[in-house]
Amino acid sequence: MTLRTSISPPAVAPTQIQDAPSRHHMWQRISPYIYIGPAVIYLIIFMIIPVVQGIQLSFTKTPLVRPDGGTGVGLDNYTRLLSTPQFYNSLGATILYTAATVIFAVAIGAGAALLLNQAFKGRTIVRAIITLPWAVPTVATALIFSWIFNRSDGVLNEVVGVFGVGQQGWLVDPKYGMAAVVLTSVWKVMPLVMLVVLASLQSIPSELYEATRMDGAGALETFKAVTWPHIAPTVRVVTLLMTIWSIRRFEIIYLLTGGGPVDSTNTLVVNVYRQAFSNQELGRAAAIGALGLVLSLVVTVVYFMMERRNAAKEA
Amino acid sequence: MATQEAHPVTEHAPHKRRLKAPGKRNFSKPVRVLMLAALVLFSGFPLYWMLNTALSQDSELYGQAQGWWPHWERLADLGDVIGTVPIFKWLTNSMVIAGGTTLLSLIFAVLAGYALSRFKFYGKGAAGFLLFATQMLPEALLVVPIYALFASLGLLNGMGGLILANVAFTMPVSVWIIKGAIDAIPYEIEEAAAVDGCPRVTILSLVLTPLILPSIAAAAVINFFDGWNEFLLAKTFIAERDLWPASVGLASFIGQYLTSLNSVMAAALLFTLPALIFFLLVQRRIVSGLTAGSVKG
Repeated sequence: MTLRTSISPPAVAPTQIQDAPSRHHMWQRISPYIYIGPAVIYLIIFMIIPVVQGIQLSFTKTPLVRPDGGTGVGLDNYTRLLSTPQFYNSLGATILYTAATVIFAVAIGAGAALLLNQAFKGRTIVRAIITLPWAVPTVATALIFSWIFNRSDGVLNEVVGVFGVGQQGWLVDPKYGMAAVVLTSVWKVMPLVMLVVLASLQSIPSELYEATRMDGAGALETFKAVTWPHIAPTVRVVTLLMTIWSIRRFEIIYLLTGGGPVDSTNTLVVNVYRQAFSNQELGRAAAIGALGLVLSLVVTVVYFMMERRNAAKEA
Repeated sequence: MATQEAHPVTEHAPHKRRLKAPGKRNFSKPVRVLMLAALVLFSGFPLYWMLNTALSQDSELYGQAQGWWPHWERLADLGDVIGTVPIFKWLTNSMVIAGGTTLLSLIFAVLAGYALSRFKFYGKGAAGFLLFATQMLPEALLVVPIYALFASLGLLNGMGGLILANVAFTMPVSVWIIKGAIDAIPYEIEEAAAVDGCPRVTILSLVLTPLILPSIAAAAVINFFDGWNEFLLAKTFIAERDLWPASVGLASFIGQYLTSLNSVMAAALLFTLPALIFFLLVQRRIVSGLTAGSVKG
């Protein structure tokens, strides 16, 4: 059930269930739609229609106070966006944030999994502690870290003070804003990587290790020959998931820095929110949203293609 | 938790002992201990600091006078400390929102999961793609059009509207979890019931549903905590302070130090604890459910 795409076996058989003989043939044919219909209709109303409306909105100038009273402006929002450095800055922040968060979360998470895959005393409690941050609600996470990073009274400044570093504005200095939100995000999402990779590590048959040991392989060779090939697909999938989730992450960034300092953490999703609810320009917000959707879509398509390729390889 | 943990270890234990292998050991011992200590510090410290802050006195928090060790004796006064923040009102709202989201989401999910698992029908691929692709849509990018839609429908500023919007984001994952669970149930069981003349609805509700109860529970927990944690939609839709869920209420204290921080942290702790406890109880299922939901196409 975990990370393997399973093929549902009984795709054909079920139609053989007969509620009664063949006069119920019609009923047989429509009944799947009765079961799946509500979910599909719901998603069309609350997901697909908003996406379409969002795209329509992006071609208008619409004030926040009158969401349905926009005037058409054609491609104006887009041309203005694409001609200002603010948009490219936002795109750059998104890519930087995503890359840094994913690299650190996957590296630390996978490393933690390797460490925890070995038996040692107190492993259960260590594992629980490392896992907990993932369950901490985002708003609570932001509260804790905004206090830790606090310029005048935060504990981080107290700690770096020991090393003779003066007080730093971790959340208000453009030099550190991005690092602070990345650190917080890694803290929060790394456990998921750890748990997923650990599950994969535990599914490696010990016979494989035994065989390589017979061959006299060292630790590094064993890792390369047995461990890595086994966990590589899992690491790949979890990297992609982390990427998608990082592009869309809003709360941590918005609550810690609000997109600042000096727009250094103004990722696309934060940018959309600020345009809509601070600048009250729904049209321009929707245009940024549409461009952000394109980015998500590209990642999703890449993801889908990789999955297909892997599925084909497995078959 | 302990029993859950023990399971995989005992499973592999005989092999491991026989192995005693340098092969499984990728790091030398002191390095390993050091790295583990660093990880525990990194993951554990912020939570410890939250507790420590909640147990500190307001006057100690400024000028870097906060002690390194928590004042456990203040645990008893925590109730009064929390009293300065309307957290119980907000937690009740969170409960209503999360509960409503879970219930509605699961109803859709059981029905749709059943259809995807047990039927072959025209448009199944398209429905599957819809359920897959909508998971990829960022909440923050949809919030503007959903806000516009809800404004025109008069659904803003109420918990009902918020639940409706939440379900759109939580339901797809649930569908995949339920579908996966039904896939794993041998079809013969339903066949036997069908031979006995059971209609399909009865089979689903009385035969299948009890069998997949663990997965339904896992999906319920995931949904509940999505609803419990959700911030963006709630902040955007609900302006009235009394209707805020705890996420929005607590966020309103970030960066403003008018309310004493130890009260805010104590309230945040109250908001966090249920999530931590539930998570530890059902951790394994949540992880496999989440990844299954996002990976199955």
